[in-house]
Amino acid sequence: MKRPIVIFCGKGGVGKTTLSLASGLFCAHKGKRVVVVTSHPLAELAVSVSLEGLQETDPTAAANLFVVHIDPRQILAKMFQEQIPSKLLARAVLSSRIYKSLIEVAPGLKEIAFLARLRELAEGRFGDDKMSFEMLIWDAPATGHFLETLRVSKKFDTYLSGPFALAGRDLTHFFSQSANLILFPVTILEEMAVEETIELCDKLSRELGIRPAGLLCNLVSPMLSAPEDAFRELQQRLSLEGKCTPDVEFVIDRHRIEREQFLRLRSSLQTTFHMVQRLPRWKSDLELLSALSSRMGEVPLGIT
Amino acid sequence: MRILIFLGTGGVGKTSIAAATAMQAALKGGKCLVLAIDPALRLRTALRLDSGSTQQKVALDSLPAKGELWAALLDVGATLNRAVQLYSKPQQAETILKHPIYRLLVASLAGMQELIAIERLDQAITDGFDTIVIDTAPSRHALEFLDKPEFFVQLVSFPMVQLVARAYKLWERSPMAVLGRKSLELYSRVEALLGATLVRQILDFYSVFFGIAEGYADRAKRTTSLLRDPAVSAFCIVTTPSKAIRDANFFWEELNRRKFPVRGLMVNRVWPTVQAQLPSDSPALAHDLVGWYRDVSGAHHSVWNDVSSQFAGLIPRLLKIPELPRDVDGLSALHQIAQYLNDLMDR
Repeated sequence: MKRPIVIFCGKGGVGKTTLSLASGLFCAHKGKRVVVVTSHPLAELAVSVSLEGLQETDPTAAANLFVVHIDPRQILAKMFQEQIPSKLLARAVLSSRIYKSLIEVAPGLKEIAFLARLRELAEGRFGDDKMSFEMLIWDAPATGHFLETLRVSKKFDTYLSGPFALAGRDLTHFFSQSANLILFPVTILEEMAVEETIELCDKLSRELGIRPAGLLCNLVSPMLSAPEDAFRELQQRLSLEGKCTPDVEFVIDRHRIEREQFLRLRSSLQTTFHMVQRLPRWKSDLELLSALSSRMGEVPLGIT
Repeated sequence: MRILIFLGTGGVGKTSIAAATAMQAALKGGKCLVLAIDPALRLRTALRLDSGSTQQKVALDSLPAKGELWAALLDVGATLNRAVQLYSKPQQAETILKHPIYRLLVASLAGMQELIAIERLDQAITDGFDTIVIDTAPSRHALEFLDKPEFFVQLVSFPMVQLVARAYKLWERSPMAVLGRKSLELYSRVEALLGATLVRQILDFYSVFFGIAEGYADRAKRTTSLLRDPAVSAFCIVTTPSKAIRDANFFWEELNRRKFPVRGLMVNRVWPTVQAQLPSDSPALAHDLVGWYRDVSGAHHSVWNDVSSQFAGLIPRLLKIPELPRDVDGLSALHQIAQYLNDLMDR
């Protein structure tokens, strides 16, 4: 069965991995079988530490949540094995120095393999594994690498003949169908992150024809939802009465920027905004993820 | 000459801290270069850099600088082009630069940046900088920029690339004689799967590019050994409070394992302690706002206390760098950060 890929993308450090895992946790807790494919630079570390203890606190979620790391070399080997009928011959090809050297030096081939595997997962093809999944989440790499990966299938198209050329064309088609992707750019309300988010959304829609399903503003302060008038009055009052010590000034200043950046985003992007508040403190990663997952209910993740 | 390398995951402020470190060095004297490798090109905003330019001097008019600050973006295309022109015969260079695989190689950032960083560092050393500060990309594997060149050195020095490169010309003349029946069959299988055109082009390209690849391997070997020399190089880990413990442990272990000298650990963007007591008649919103900030900054400081006591004695310089109210968007903001980095520069 075909499922759209839920993608969390955006600038480095905005919380893509955290929100991917929180969303996965939210759906897994409701009994959906979820796969999270992570491109986090320290994948094994980030994920194993973050989910430590889930088995004890939420066995349902633990049984339904799967985190996958895709190794392009393995995928390529599998693709080759499928193309070569004889197992013996396939093994000979895969262990040959010619194969190994060509795989390493062919630019973009590993990205194609990654996308191909992602697509397989989305279409419910899991190789030997017969389990079925109801939701696929891709914790995408940071903006630059994410766009490179999506563009690669197009580039490759011009240079290839044979099965990989077909794969390249197929992938280009698959990743430009909006029904196949549920895209959530993630941002924080700081100047550079907002700038990058606007640029990312522009490139996605112009070059790849992809529109976001919503935008996640992460790490916002609980005061963002206070009325603008109330904040302005507060700001005026504190500065007029000379009560503004440097630390209060820091608080007011940061909060003013948060508001400015939010307005800028809203006037630049026509999409639904979802606010995820910054928790002041948490005892463990799992506690943070659980708290965040309870807030993912309002985000249209495409499950019923 | 000294080299400082900044490592960290995405969005922790590596680029700003790298630039501020180079600025601090330039204030004290010498010719200093900051090399930004981040694809988000954030340094551009702070240093008004354009992509495509090689390296340019940053005007420090308002600051009392004894030395010079230079800045550059790691441009994969420009660095590779320069290497091709420097290390190959003119006619060969032209063949390489026009080759479709070369263009694909340059266009496909994925995987190239880590290889090219070392080459670019070598070029900066040749250009005679006294201090070179490098900001690294948060790549899929955090230390790929150190590992990949070493992998490439092995690749060139032993079997694969040599095989492909040397075999190609002979294949063209008499494939059977050189490869033997079995190898030829394997080769034709691979060719059928990858597409004959692509394989041809790759082989063709690497047979020309081989000389450069060999030269690259030599330079990478030299540069990597410089990076292991504590008299020349220092690695600094940059992180933020929310991921400080995990990042610090990870990078410290990985660098140690590879025998690279760790000089500093910087916990960046620590929110200042909010001590002010609001008058009791302040509106509820003011109390909420300040109370919430106080909670967050309290959590930040307790992380800093944990990390700094865990690494005391292991990493020589432990630095806490406060959050600035605004994004780092100009030289004065960099100068502000630079003041916290004084310790880092002293040997």
